[in-house]
Amino acid sequence: MTDAPLTPREADDALAAEYVLGVLELAERSAAEARIKRDPAFAAMVRGWETRMEGLNDDFKPVSAPDLLPKIEARLFPAAPLAPARRGFGLTFGWLSGAALAAVLALATMATLTPPRPDLVATLATADNRLAYRITHFGAALQVTRVAGVPAVAGQVHELWIIAPNANPVSLGLLQDRPLVVTYPEPPAGFVFAVSVEPEGGSPTGQPTGPVILTAEVGQNT
Amino acid sequence: MTADDGGDGADTTAPRISLFAQDLAIPVKIRNVCRMDDPVAQLIAQCAAADRAAFRTLYRDTSAKLMGVLLRMLRERAEAEDALQEVYTRVWVRAGRYDPAKGRGMTWLIAIARNLAIDRLRARPEAHSDDGLDTVQDAAPRAETQLVARDEVRRVADCFDTLDPDKADAVRGAYLNGLSYLDLAARHAVPLNTMRTWLRRSLLKLKECLDQ
Repeated sequence: MTDAPLTPREADDALAAEYVLGVLELAERSAAEARIKRDPAFAAMVRGWETRMEGLNDDFKPVSAPDLLPKIEARLFPAAPLAPARRGFGLTFGWLSGAALAAVLALATMATLTPPRPDLVATLATADNRLAYRITHFGAALQVTRVAGVPAVAGQVHELWIIAPNANPVSLGLLQDRPLVVTYPEPPAGFVFAVSVEPEGGSPTGQPTGPVILTAEVGQNT
Repeated sequence: MTADDGGDGADTTAPRISLFAQDLAIPVKIRNVCRMDDPVAQLIAQCAAADRAAFRTLYRDTSAKLMGVLLRMLRERAEAEDALQEVYTRVWVRAGRYDPAKGRGMTWLIAIARNLAIDRLRARPEAHSDDGLDTVQDAAPRAETQLVARDEVRRVADCFDTLDPDKADAVRGAYLNGLSYLDLAARHAVPLNTMRTWLRRSLLKLKECLDQ
């Protein structure tokens, strides 16, 4: 190896290695972390280094750990689930009075028949399109319709979240058989929708607890 | 049998047959590519399907290894135990993002534990975390002396041998003990920038060897 300056690609790769090693100071480390989130090529370099260094993991000798499971589970699965999910955003079809339901249906119907049509806000789909939700905005409401796939298996439910930039996810409700309609302003580009798998009744914590299976950013790939 | 055996599959018990394969609600990606030779990966996939029993098994099978990681890096038992709770919380929440096609389950778990430990080390007010490390490091057998059977580990060891011993020690010290550039520069008595140039070159050289 010569003393020639690193090429940009080498420099990126070295940065990925430095991140994985953990030698960076806090500010640089945070910057690298942010880059992992927005730059898939860099994220792949980081993964490459994690794999490259995995041979060193044998040097970490197991040390018996106390049984912290009860504490961890108490954190993840609080015993008394609150009525989750719809706090502050309420309004699934099930919650609507008959008249309001009719009004929403009328709006939805009009929307499909006459312009202006509902704006397509985002599509959440797996890569193979076996599960897909379509999110449109019309009037003052978001409507979320499953266009492919099946609801979660018994005992679980898909929960929809909206995430403003640099904010925590906020639940918009549970995605079940019927389309979900929630009053919500039209989300600007950069907002992210996510669907997580939650226990029946929705997340017990008000934040996603199960795996996030779908995400889509407003303004991209709709 | 120790917890770290779980990451390697080949020398452990037969792979578990998990329920998630029949569970149509859960990430297709994981169902399709899950490695049957990696029991830890399977448990993580089951966690992604919100299987709490699998989560308990995962904790039982892997917490000693992750405690080893956290204790070695953080060097304080109370903090390591606190970090361990946080690690498993992250594991549950992020399980759906784990892609078995891109790495072993244990490697993913250790990456989460190391990243948390490093974040905490870097957030500590004192600049150096080097105190008392010599004994820790000397007491721990080097990676290359312990292992014979496993190809990838031997490969790492061989490649470390292509580096100057000083530089190999720096890489190992950073990875295993969480040393920062500041720590390493002090330890090797060189200016910070020199340390960084050294280490970057060594890493790229290591990569060249490992990727051959």
